[in-house]
Amino acid sequence: MGVAPLLRKVFMVDLLKGLSVTFRYQHPSQVCTEQYPLERPQIAERYRGLPRLNVNPETGETLCIACNLCASACPEHLIVVESERNPVTKRKEMKRFTLDVSRCMFCGLCEEACSTDCLELSQDYELAQYSRDGLIFDRARLESGPENTVYSR
Amino acid sequence: MTDVTKSTTSFYEEDTGKTGTFLDANELILNMGPQHPSTHGVLRVILKLDGEKVLGTECIIGYLHRGVEKIAENRTYTMFNPYVDRMDYVAAVSNGLGYCEAVEKLLNIEAPPRANYIRVILTELNRIASHQLWLGTHALDIGAITPLFYTFRDREEILKIYEKFCGARLTTHAFRIGGCSYETYDGFEDNVKKFVKFVTPKIDEYEELLTTNRIWVERTKGVGILSGPDAIALGVTGPVLRAAGVKWDLRKAQPYACYKEFDFEIPIGENGDTYDRYLVRIAEMRQSLRIISQAVEKIPDGPIMAKVPKVIKPPVGEIYHSIEAPKGELGYFIVSDGSTQPYRVRVRPPSFVNLQALDKMVRGMLVADVVAVIGTLDIVLGEVDR
Amino acid sequence: MLEYITNYLNSNLTPGQAGNIFWAVVYILLIFAGVSAAVILMNWGERKALAHMQVRLGPMRVGPHGLLQPFADALKLLLKEDIAPSEADKMVFWVAPLIVVVTAFTTFIVVPFGQTHAVTDMNIGILFMLGVSSLGVLGIVTAGWASNSHFPLMGGLRSSAQMVSYEIAMGLAVISAVLMTSFSGVGPFGVGGEGTGSGTLSMIGIVQAQQAQHVWFVFKLFPLGLIAFGIFAIAMVAETNRAPFDLPEAESELVAGFHTEYSGFRWSLFFLAEYAAMVAVSSIAVTLWLGGWLRPFTYWLSGSGWDTAFSLFPGLTFLVLAGFTFFNTVRMPKHPALKIQTVGLGVFGAILGVVGLLLFVPGVRERIQDIYWFSIKVAVFMYLYIWYRGTFPRYRFDQLMKLGWKVLLPVGFGVLIATGLIGLSDQLLEWVKGVMHWA
Repeated sequence: MGVAPLLRKVFMVDLLKGLSVTFRYQHPSQVCTEQYPLERPQIAERYRGLPRLNVNPETGETLCIACNLCASACPEHLIVVESERNPVTKRKEMKRFTLDVSRCMFCGLCEEACSTDCLELSQDYELAQYSRDGLIFDRARLESGPENTVYSR
Repeated sequence: MTDVTKSTTSFYEEDTGKTGTFLDANELILNMGPQHPSTHGVLRVILKLDGEKVLGTECIIGYLHRGVEKIAENRTYTMFNPYVDRMDYVAAVSNGLGYCEAVEKLLNIEAPPRANYIRVILTELNRIASHQLWLGTHALDIGAITPLFYTFRDREEILKIYEKFCGARLTTHAFRIGGCSYETYDGFEDNVKKFVKFVTPKIDEYEELLTTNRIWVERTKGVGILSGPDAIALGVTGPVLRAAGVKWDLRKAQPYACYKEFDFEIPIGENGDTYDRYLVRIAEMRQSLRIISQAVEKIPDGPIMAKVPKVIKPPVGEIYHSIEAPKGELGYFIVSDGSTQPYRVRVRPPSFVNLQALDKMVRGMLVADVVAVIGTLDIVLGEVDR
Repeated sequence: MLEYITNYLNSNLTPGQAGNIFWAVVYILLIFAGVSAAVILMNWGERKALAHMQVRLGPMRVGPHGLLQPFADALKLLLKEDIAPSEADKMVFWVAPLIVVVTAFTTFIVVPFGQTHAVTDMNIGILFMLGVSSLGVLGIVTAGWASNSHFPLMGGLRSSAQMVSYEIAMGLAVISAVLMTSFSGVGPFGVGGEGTGSGTLSMIGIVQAQQAQHVWFVFKLFPLGLIAFGIFAIAMVAETNRAPFDLPEAESELVAGFHTEYSGFRWSLFFLAEYAAMVAVSSIAVTLWLGGWLRPFTYWLSGSGWDTAFSLFPGLTFLVLAGFTFFNTVRMPKHPALKIQTVGLGVFGAILGVVGLLLFVPGVRERIQDIYWFSIKVAVFMYLYIWYRGTFPRYRFDQLMKLGWKVLLPVGFGVLIATGLIGLSDQLLEWVKGVMHWA
């Protein structure tokens, strides 16, 4: 072996290099942990979270026209839209809208299929519930949008 | 060969014909069960040991089988796109690329150049992310517990880019049949350029921690040797094949997307041992950065989606299209019967084929090396079992 | 009776030498408490330091910045169900953790925290420590055997083989250091003189020899002292089954280690014994090579001015820690759930500050000197242990044994022979002269 590699081996230069890397990272400014739930992560605008049913901001009426395109686009057939024909305007109006979140894969195909701006995937990711049935979200929950869970402890 | 799980006689009895007790046999059957910290998923490996030396292995897979290929027969082509990400969940974008390109070939359409550039950038970012995860977990198996955190921290930046682009970090569903679904967001090019500048010294840092470290070298040099002819005979692809000295990369051999327009090299190794595979993957990360820096400079303007019919009904036929995923050759064989749902989708997962080389690589090694070799093959059980 | 207790305080002897049983028991209890406190601190320190090396934070929620985490862990382990395998040998299963813990703590009888601050100063001190820590291997083998399962058995056998091999290298390094105590020359290269000095195996005697020779043995006969220290430093990491030599207890290997079948309190005994053994071998290293309780530059920077300056260090250390704590208290997030933690951290900082100020008092300052310098040096070693764990991959078992037998052993022999030859060099010179004269 040459002289330089032999000296490097005896003086454990390679081990010291490794030690210096870990030593450098000990500075508290290098920490990259986000202390959830004290600090919430920054979510991108296009984040595919829980779907949300948009309402007309002025009238408060839903924008859904019950075209059923989202239900047919869903790969898992999780959306059920019930509608009834309004006798006055002769248009279909959405009556019930359920989404089974337990099997939803948040793929966004329903959002792409929606013909109006109604169904949109929001930034809601805190979706834990206490029971299986609680995971079938109805219209009210879907219209209310993201609820930021508050942790008291 | 008798089913190892059911036989009550030992290998000793079967091989020699003599009966004996556990103490007489000089072999021990050890079960590295589905729940194990270092089998990278639910993989069961049955080892036949002679003291510390491994005499043979048998892999039992299927613990993560979800019937993805069967699901494909009941979904339309667009509906099946999100399922494809879930196979190799570490490198989801590559899966999507392979599937979309296969269906596009079946439909005989081509994605526009802008979409191709975006696809290449995201796929190469995916390659870096996959190799970083591999490096972290492989180092963890061998005992170095810190590189895991460093690689995951750097991988976060890539996942943030994915999140801003398509809305999800892991199961991205980034591409559609015919192009990309989303236009790039404002600041995409800046983000990517900043990322390249951020990660180049980090890769040097991983090397500083591991490449010359004598303990690392001793643990990985000469361990799990797979020679070139053996690799080709077993059908192994990806960095495992390239570390054995065979210069075969689908991005150069059968170019897809727009790889022809970029200038990059294919790193190859010499001995085909674990150390060479490590060096090849680190070099691949650097070459990916090279491709990304070239691509992000010259993204052309234009549409991001080709003219695709609303209801995708490919003509009757079949096609096999493969891409160079981070783990090897990922292939899709799609048989269409003219309806909106494919008749058969068969996925050729690289990890599944690479796993078959485990037996050859591990014979004669010590027990502690089995863990290192499983790590170096870079298997993802989601892909192996589908 | 009271006289018996108080007249020890004026003597300048260890309780063992003075024959005072009361103070011996007091010292034993103090050492037991001290080592347990060190283990608790080490638990917290390891998790936090390792976490920071891995760019994360470690425990933050249990107490302010995780300070109550060790207590929570201890409580959990005490309340856990004690499972014993049905086929296990009950008696041996019960006894194995005891052997390990007892041997680990017994070694502390001779560890000198100061000039007279040892329970007893046996004149075979270092031999006693090495011998008793070797007994710990018995506990490990019995633990592996008693579990009645071949994973722990193989793990226990591997672990004991590793410990025995590295004890030989440790022993050789120790002999080199003990040889150096017999030199009477002063300074790094001084060896004999008119006659050689008196060599000693007693721990206090070894530190006094370093004091008399005005140099720590790590710098003596440079580089021989350094190489011996290096051998001991590597061997002690292997002896305590820590990274990078922790194959027998690694999680990602197939053989899970000798303490697989132990749960709850019994497992915590193994854990306690491991950390106590770490402190014990670090104490050996500090005593033999790093001058024990001596402050840095005892000879070169002597005089009462320097003495006073160095005696300010204990108080300063505590004040720095208190300042750091207050800094972190101010930086705690203003969340209602964290109010108690912020207050607690502030109180802790205040306590540290008060202790620091107390250590400035002239009477206390002198007495605490020795213990402080000894503890600081041992703390540096503990940090090194954590640093190695965070950085290095693991050695495979055959490579580990190869290192112990094929590398450390020959180098240890070489250092020993070289130290002996150089140490006896003047006598050797005389002999050669005599031979030449005769010839």
